[in-house]
Amino acid sequence: MDTIKRVFISLGSLDRRIIFLIVGLSVLIPLLKPEWVSLPIRPRPESQIVFNEINKLNEGDKVLLSFEYGPSTKPEIHPMAIAILKHLYAKNIQVYGFALWPDGNFMSTEAFSEVSHQYEKEYGIDYVNLGYKPGAEAVVKGIAADIRALYTVDLKGTPIEDIPMMKDVINVNSFDFVFSLSAGFPGSTEWVQYACDPKNIPLSTGVTSIMVTDILPYVENGQILGLLAGMPGAAEYESLVEAELKRMDITGIPGKASGMMAAQSIAHVVIVLFIIFGNITYYIIRNKNGKDKI
Amino acid sequence: MISAEIISAWFVVLLTLSIFSFLYKDNPFYKAAEHLYVGVSAGYVAVISFWQQVQPNLFGRLWPSRAAVDDGSVFQSFWYAIYEFFNLISTGFGVLDRSIFPKGGIIGFGEIRMIYLIPFILGIFMLLRLVPKLGWLARWAIAYIVGMAAGLRFYGFLNSNVLNQIKASAINFTSDWGTIINSLIIFIGTLSGLIYFFYSTEHKGVVGRLSRIGIYFLMIKFGASFGFAVMGRISLLIGRINDLKDYSSSEYHYATPVILIFIIICLAIWSFIGEKDRNESIA
Repeated sequence: MDTIKRVFISLGSLDRRIIFLIVGLSVLIPLLKPEWVSLPIRPRPESQIVFNEINKLNEGDKVLLSFEYGPSTKPEIHPMAIAILKHLYAKNIQVYGFALWPDGNFMSTEAFSEVSHQYEKEYGIDYVNLGYKPGAEAVVKGIAADIRALYTVDLKGTPIEDIPMMKDVINVNSFDFVFSLSAGFPGSTEWVQYACDPKNIPLSTGVTSIMVTDILPYVENGQILGLLAGMPGAAEYESLVEAELKRMDITGIPGKASGMMAAQSIAHVVIVLFIIFGNITYYIIRNKNGKDKI
Repeated sequence: MISAEIISAWFVVLLTLSIFSFLYKDNPFYKAAEHLYVGVSAGYVAVISFWQQVQPNLFGRLWPSRAAVDDGSVFQSFWYAIYEFFNLISTGFGVLDRSIFPKGGIIGFGEIRMIYLIPFILGIFMLLRLVPKLGWLARWAIAYIVGMAAGLRFYGFLNSNVLNQIKASAINFTSDWGTIINSLIIFIGTLSGLIYFFYSTEHKGVVGRLSRIGIYFLMIKFGASFGFAVMGRISLLIGRINDLKDYSSSEYHYATPVILIFIIICLAIWSFIGEKDRNESIA
């Protein structure tokens, strides 16, 4: 028993750099050898709702896709953006890109150029990228009221009057669905508060893991239809979209999030083990110190 | 052949490993990457805000294309003379090419909107913080922003976060048992959580017990947030390591291993010199 206690006490005094190294290896090894860890991906109800809502849309419908993330949250949100675009393009839905974050311009440009090419979609006809405007919630309010008061040109500098698919677009009411790819403020909350709640437009979102608990009350209440939560949410959506594309006889490049889930799971196991060891060590030391005092 | 893609990959690897080097300890690589990140971010936001908002939406409304608004009035000639004056200043008295104020006005809007002089003046007031004697004028602009944001947010929060959430926390006794139990938990959690933050009454008796239940609900919330935060950070780590793995191939001239070895050698030398300096100062 004393030996076990000593092991735990020595584990508790482990140099933090060794812990960093172990967590790093737990991520690196599954990425280098994905065949060693193969875990199934089962969509959660929130991801399934997002998929069902988008799948319900008809050919020619208009979807507002808002990019509210940057390179710092790219691994979590970007795979969602790619999967959503694949799903929308496969259903021949018109996509209108907006950005509430300055870095969103890079993300939207990258996502559009990657997927539009695969699906042979034409700029101005099938998709448009209107880009970033500073102003946070004021921009969302502006899109809800009058897009032309805010946007005179798209991201490329083309006047929006010259873009065919902008012809009948006036404000958020012109869209059949809004999807927010959000990593913080301004993001999903602002779309709920200033556009989709007041105008009653269906909204779904994909958020970073850290935002999930803040967004869930809106999902529970039906103000947001479903939720893609972090990288697992992206992987679940990818699996749903890939199954749908297979059903539609469309072949494409598989998404990135699913391939990273093994690393995520292993890293979680390692962290949970460290938390358990840390707690056991804490109680052993506390009991030992208590006895010493007596 | 060295392409722009390879150079950017080497930069990505260098900056990523420089930030990771903080796990060893604070060092010049980390500091340089951190300063570069802050500087580039601030510069990028400033430039994009100017070209996406100030130039087309403010100047564009004050001085739209003259061809679209020309009525031949004296006022308009005077107004566009001011425009030309601003152009003269922005081009360094003709040294640089026209960019902010293109010839004949800014294309986009079909009428001069004088009301936009107010945000223009408030914007100038904001910049006057740099002049100590006139810095007080910036308070007017800040007061406008705070007032506007408070008014804008009040409606949004009242509708979506207060009224709709209160509606959602009501229990529908006609639904199935699972939903009723779920709603009851949410109702008790909301009520006890609010009581915990109610400081006007001493937390004793029933109030004390309810606030204690509130603490448990809050702890579950914080635990869930912490769990999700860890999940998010691991996702970001996976993203970086995945990029490092991709850039370690021969296609990118082994960027990751080469830079990793370079940083380790530099840090070893830096630590050795630092240790030597410390020993000398103690002696």
